[in-house]
Amino acid sequence: MTGLRSNAADLVAANVAGRIAPARIHPEALAVDRDGRQRFLPGTGGIALGVHSGDLASRWEGDHLMPGASIEDADGTPAVAGPLHLLACIGNRVRDRAGHPIGVVAGKRGGLAPGFWAPQLVGVEMRDSVAARLVPEDRVVVEAVGRGLRLLDHPQVTLANVAPRLLDALPLREENGTLHCAVCAVVPPELAGAGLGQDSWIGDLEITDPAAAAELRFGDLVAFTGIDSAVSRYYEPTRVSIGIVSHGPGQAPGHGVGVTILLTGPATHLRPVGGNGALAELLMDWAGEAGSEP
Amino acid sequence: MATNAHRLVTTRLRAQIQPGAVNVVTRPDGVSQALPGQGGVVTGIGLGDVAAARTGDHVEPGASLGHADSAANHAIRLLSCVGNRVTVLDGPAAGARGVVYGKHGAVLAMFAPDVLARLAPGESVAIDAQGIGLAIDGMDDVTAHSLSPQVFEAMAMPVDGRLRIGVVAILPSIAAAAGIGMPAAMFNMDLHSWSEPVASQAKGLRFGDLVAVLDQDHRFGRQHRPGWAMVGIVSHGTAIGGGHGVGLMTLLTAPAARFDFVPNAEARLDRLLPLPWEDTA
Repeated sequence: MTGLRSNAADLVAANVAGRIAPARIHPEALAVDRDGRQRFLPGTGGIALGVHSGDLASRWEGDHLMPGASIEDADGTPAVAGPLHLLACIGNRVRDRAGHPIGVVAGKRGGLAPGFWAPQLVGVEMRDSVAARLVPEDRVVVEAVGRGLRLLDHPQVTLANVAPRLLDALPLREENGTLHCAVCAVVPPELAGAGLGQDSWIGDLEITDPAAAAELRFGDLVAFTGIDSAVSRYYEPTRVSIGIVSHGPGQAPGHGVGVTILLTGPATHLRPVGGNGALAELLMDWAGEAGSEP
Repeated sequence: MATNAHRLVTTRLRAQIQPGAVNVVTRPDGVSQALPGQGGVVTGIGLGDVAAARTGDHVEPGASLGHADSAANHAIRLLSCVGNRVTVLDGPAAGARGVVYGKHGAVLAMFAPDVLARLAPGESVAIDAQGIGLAIDGMDDVTAHSLSPQVFEAMAMPVDGRLRIGVVAILPSIAAAAGIGMPAAMFNMDLHSWSEPVASQAKGLRFGDLVAVLDQDHRFGRQHRPGWAMVGIVSHGTAIGGGHGVGLMTLLTAPAARFDFVPNAEARLDRLLPLPWEDTA
């Protein structure tokens, strides 16, 4: 528990409906790797069986692969981030059409050019036994809460995509008015790629250098120095952004392991520190709570 | 310079002038604004005007071209090249000639002011598209995108195995914002407008300016890559969102050693080539 004061008690919770996204191949997307080789790998939409938080993100031969089920707004087009995407927060509970819990929101994927480019997906971590009974296009409901969450004693720090229970569990420590956050890696701003310029609540920001992301696991916290994401993700030397590894490597140039933003603030008030910034165990625990068979 | 220009295919494309947009954008400081956005026919701004001077968001001077059929649109935005001739097919300006000067999502064409004044969305144009496949003899490591052989010949001079190119600005890799990760032959790349030193360096850029960005590899998509460089053309106006700004469309990319960038405040499309409405030949 971080013990940080927040406005969590005043937040609006909303059940938002969507569906498990079908696996899709988007013909407008680059189908080459960073050296121009034609390469196609699975990863967009559907249910990734046996892929979980804590796995090395580069372990799997996937492209923008998220653990568990990828879900989306059911009414919009795949390029549009609708209310499910814009309200969902890491740590929110997800249930199936019958109302049984199936898992926990663990990440987002997308944000290259929302409204124009698909996809905009939300990743749901779940136990294998739950994944085994689900199929794409199944209706799901996200118990969305977290939009509007603020730290009452740290107004300089902005939260995004953070459920109240995730805030309580983040490895944050207050020291002389500065928040220290344990992270697994610190990435310089020139390695920030796809996702720049877009809403911090949509998708993720990608690490374009495979070497810088080689050791990262799904669920790891990562800091970008020199990146602000209070509104949209962009280069601002005085600020820092911290997020969670949400998807695996992307093959195309300018793409890579994805980080969904959680916190941003001036470097003077938000300091990433090396240490145990892995949230996989927590996410798996939460997914396990939802794992009882209906 | 020896190129394969004589072997390049010219394809006549039919495109329509796209409707305009209003962009509602929240700035990094939290202020939301609704401003004229991309598309439509934008009058009163020409090549050589400062791209950050007007109050807009991703404004595309001249006419923005596309097609309702997504595959035909794909062909238009891939095959069209900077310097290609555009002819108005219908409406009150039928027969007038213009030139492709850039890309954003749409293909961007400039016309003489009196022609622009008569154009409207929905009208058709023909683009004589040529340039895709352009290769330079003996320089296999140079990749051209959206670049007609005429503009290439006018902008680049071979000197001791390098391409000498006049550019208005040479920017660091960190200048690259939205557009990283996208196909470099179809969409442009924004330059950060909120972050120093890039904001100051980009502030005076003009539509049609040639600009280099270092440590960027744009052969396939766009990525930060030390030791590489790109040169592009200023295509759309500035933008107010964090991670957005003046648009730069990729024309050439290669290992940096292949380029000899020469600062030149006049390195601009309308200074390199006679514009179609000025060309009496």
